[in-house]
Amino acid sequence: MKNHVTDDVRAIIGAQSSWNEATNAVEASEVRRFFQAIIDPKPVYWDEDQAKETRYGGTIAPPAFAVHAFRRGTDETIDPLDAGLDPEFDGVSRALRPGLPSVPIALPRVLNGGYEYELFSYPRVGDRIKCRSTYRDIYQRDGKTGPMVFIVIEDEYATADGRPLLKSLNTMIMR
Amino acid sequence: MTTICFEDVEVSQDIPSLFKGPMTTAHIMRWSAAMENWHPIHFDWRFATEQHKLPDVIVNGSWKQHVMLQLVADWAGETGWLWKIRFQFRGMNVPGDTLEAWGRVVAKHDRHPFGVVDLQIGLKNQKGDDGTPGSASVVLPKRNGPAVPYPFDPRVLGPQKG
Repeated sequence: MKNHVTDDVRAIIGAQSSWNEATNAVEASEVRRFFQAIIDPKPVYWDEDQAKETRYGGTIAPPAFAVHAFRRGTDETIDPLDAGLDPEFDGVSRALRPGLPSVPIALPRVLNGGYEYELFSYPRVGDRIKCRSTYRDIYQRDGKTGPMVFIVIEDEYATADGRPLLKSLNTMIMR
Repeated sequence: MTTICFEDVEVSQDIPSLFKGPMTTAHIMRWSAAMENWHPIHFDWRFATEQHKLPDVIVNGSWKQHVMLQLVADWAGETGWLWKIRFQFRGMNVPGDTLEAWGRVVAKHDRHPFGVVDLQIGLKNQKGDDGTPGSASVVLPKRNGPAVPYPFDPRVLGPQKG
């Protein structure tokens, strides 16, 4: 089977981004839409009076909220949906993290293989969340349906003032 | 919200399951919109089934992970800490699925002055397909022991015995 993990691909293993800050600070309405979408309306996510009595000292966002806190920047003039007009666009971006190089592999599908998290604290409304990403490993396994390339990405999340939130290992699969 | 001490937990006990669904395309759209995730496999039936050969539009793995996190964080409660969790997105879930997040205690570790409990976790649909296998580790206080500190720092855990 064709080897997709070429020297060009191997060269990006270990690449690390700088710390990137989320587009906006954590907002109450964003937290609300989040816990409503995951169907988890605990008072600690919205009732300040009740949340003040907890160890968090106020309302929090759900545990892995930070993983989704990185949105399109206000200064990003390229609309990602414009790519949908390109008949060749396969709906898949190979730029897996801001500040990390794209993975130069032409396999047509990108799937999320799973996550491994270590949690330290939860975001609060008003927190600015920052993240630093590293390509930890890229390797190929040949299965019955063809080659699969596993891309292991470490993401460290913290608040801008340095409170650790969580560390993530995410395995993305190209096939 | 429960309060569980390390001594209260027994290996092979089940933790309370969490149920979601039946899932609809609207659940998927609500999550995708909240996340600004525009991948067409989550909303474009023709793209999902013809181009990606999927059975239907599919429930986001990114959504399912929060069900697993909720399962374990709720069980850990306000005095325990969901320290580690991992899961693989192996099986797909589609509109019509009813999901049960479940967990079972598989090991206990005395990390004096705290305890760590390992769980096997999963997310089953109504057919019994367990598509999101995983595991988790929860830090619990001991009876009459100190509170688990928040923010959590794993250096508070004593050496693992045995």
